[in-house]
Amino acid sequence: MSKETIEEHLKKQGLTRRDFLKLSGMLAVAAGFKFDVPEATAGGAVARRARGYSADRRVLKAMETRPRVPVIWLEFSDCAGCTEAISRSNSPTLGNLVLNTLTIEYHETLSAAAGFQAEQAKQDAMAKYAGQYILVVEGAIPVAEGGIHCTIGGRTALDILKEAAAGAAAIIATGNCAAYGGLPRAKPNPTDAKGVWELVTDKPVVNIPGCPAIPEATTGTIAHFVLFGALPELDALGRPKPFYGVTVHDRCLRRPFYEAGKFAGSYDDEGARKGWCLYKLGCKGPTTYNACASIKWDSGLSFPIQSGHPCLGCSEPNFWDGGGFYQGQSAPLERPEVTAVAAAAAVGAAAGVGTALINRSNKKAHGGEK
Amino acid sequence: MTWQSALEFARGPLFYGALLFFIAGMLYRLVTVVALGWSKDRVPDKGSKAGGVVRSFLKGILIWPFIPWVKNTFSRNPLIYIGGGLFHLGLFVTILLGTPHMLVWKSLLGFGWPTLPLPVVDWLAVGGIIGMLILLVHRRINPVLRLISGPAEYLAWLVVFVPMVTGYMMTHHLFFRYEVLYTFHMFSVDFLLIWIPLSRISHFMFYFFSRAIHGQQFGKRGVRV
Ligand code: HEM
Ligand code: HEM
Ligand code: SF4
Repeated sequence: MSKETIEEHLKKQGLTRRDFLKLSGMLAVAAGFKFDVPEATAGGAVARRARGYSADRRVLKAMETRPRVPVIWLEFSDCAGCTEAISRSNSPTLGNLVLNTLTIEYHETLSAAAGFQAEQAKQDAMAKYAGQYILVVEGAIPVAEGGIHCTIGGRTALDILKEAAAGAAAIIATGNCAAYGGLPRAKPNPTDAKGVWELVTDKPVVNIPGCPAIPEATTGTIAHFVLFGALPELDALGRPKPFYGVTVHDRCLRRPFYEAGKFAGSYDDEGARKGWCLYKLGCKGPTTYNACASIKWDSGLSFPIQSGHPCLGCSEPNFWDGGGFYQGQSAPLERPEVTAVAAAAAVGAAAGVGTALINRSNKKAHGGEK
Repeated sequence: MTWQSALEFARGPLFYGALLFFIAGMLYRLVTVVALGWSKDRVPDKGSKAGGVVRSFLKGILIWPFIPWVKNTFSRNPLIYIGGGLFHLGLFVTILLGTPHMLVWKSLLGFGWPTLPLPVVDWLAVGGIIGMLILLVHRRINPVLRLISGPAEYLAWLVVFVPMVTGYMMTHHLFFRYEVLYTFHMFSVDFLLIWIPLSRISHFMFYFFSRAIHGQQFGKRGVRV
């Protein structure tokens, strides 16, 4: 590992001790410490994460002693939305600090270099930090026809991923595309897009799904690894539990209306204006594990459901094919066409008539009713 | 294989297939029963057949069940009356007036309707589950019922009981994660759809036939029911 500790590195970047203390406080929260969120209560209280934790001693200590961990960030079949979400937040934010100041060694979109220079910078970083860096992947990896549907510098995404994964200490797949295939994987999935953890099986892969991923969840997970050399606890879908432990529905500010059976029936009816539950408009909150309702977006300003739009379920696998976005969560995924129903009815009726005819002839044969 | 993909299967292709099987199966049952035919009626009517049918339906479905003391079932067997009543009431309210279920109808039929608040549906669902337990216990302790109950009867009970319980657990996030319970709920509902035409649970269709035929006979003979 590079000998420099995190604190030394930050000093070189011009951070004062005061900045440093502030940063470690933010990191403590980011890494999922004290990530205890108050329950939404039936009284209508808004579920909201308390802010401004004091610096955690353990984080401070780790920053003073632990070596800096570089991050290499790759993009494949994606829209760069996850990067946008992180980089567009107001500065100076946690995201900025963690990524720009603290760790980032190579980032496809944010890199100043381009072309061969950028490729070279990446190769250098991978060689210098072999076995130590965190690999962040954004975007799905298409594998159809040898992976030709996404190539960078003449090489396929699959190839680039395998190479970068080989030297990584840990891999973080940010966004639904990198985690589970996302939009590129939506039916009929022409490029056979896959998530990272389906392709890299010999390394720990953390999934930070979302469309885009919540910046705090990505940076928090990175921070956790940087500070403690270990990944946070994951759920069955590879998501860190501090951020994906409960459903959006469980922390939703509209939940009391769900319980009371008060639903908005359209986007501009009385219910919508009064902030009632969006279940009937297709909200996928009940099956969606993500921190939108607690961390929220834009420094805690709001999140889709708060602004009146149902949850699309973007942190779950195959959410593009999970039924219509505006169709109730309980609605079947496919509605049988009239022809299919008619065919089934015809088959049933025909079989019934057949049986009835056999019954009749049996009855006649046995001298039944005249 | 994740819970999400199992749920997708249960909400998607399996539900699709089960629904078509249900439609085909019920039509088969309907046609075979209708084709049994009515026997020729050579006796002059004493009263109105149609009137008898109407009375039979009104009393049998809308009035009798709610006035226990005129109901023979109640005086002879209060447990069936109470258990059966609680169960069917809970069942109908949840699957017709619960919001998630109305949305299923809406997606299939193309139109929806207002629903009841969750706590109301929820308590009626509890009532339905308790009703089913009463019916089961009664089936075990009543000597006659016990004698005539075979695997088919217990299976029919179970096939309806599992969706009721998994639905309730899902609403309250009991013991398992939501999508796990949702998966169980959907698999059990899909199985119910397949099982209905194959079993006596199809009584909800034939009940109307027996009501109609009995009513017709009562009306014809001028019996006041
Ligand atoms: C118009 C609709 C229906 C009518 C009039 C009706 C009527 C009845 C009657 C009279 C009984 C026997 C007495 C009792 O236990 O209460 C019964 C039993 C039963 N019904 Fe229904 N029913 C209807 C719909 C349904 C539906 C839709 C289901 C399930 C999906 C269902 C499930 C059952 C079961 C499982 C039993 C037997 C309970 C036991 O084990 O004793 N019924 N029904
Ligand atoms: C396609 C068919 C069905 C779907 C998609 C479906 C879906 C659901 C959903 C989403 C819930 C609510 C969970 C919540 O509030 O968070 C639920 C609850 C429930 N379901 Fe179903 N269901 C179906 C059919 C049925 C059937 C056939 C039965 C009964 C035999 C049933 C019995 C229940 C019960 C008892 C509840 C609990 C209601 C409460 O406690 O408020 N469901 N179901
Ligand atoms: S269904 Fe959606 S809007 Fe309604 S309470 Fe749940 S998460 Fe909130």
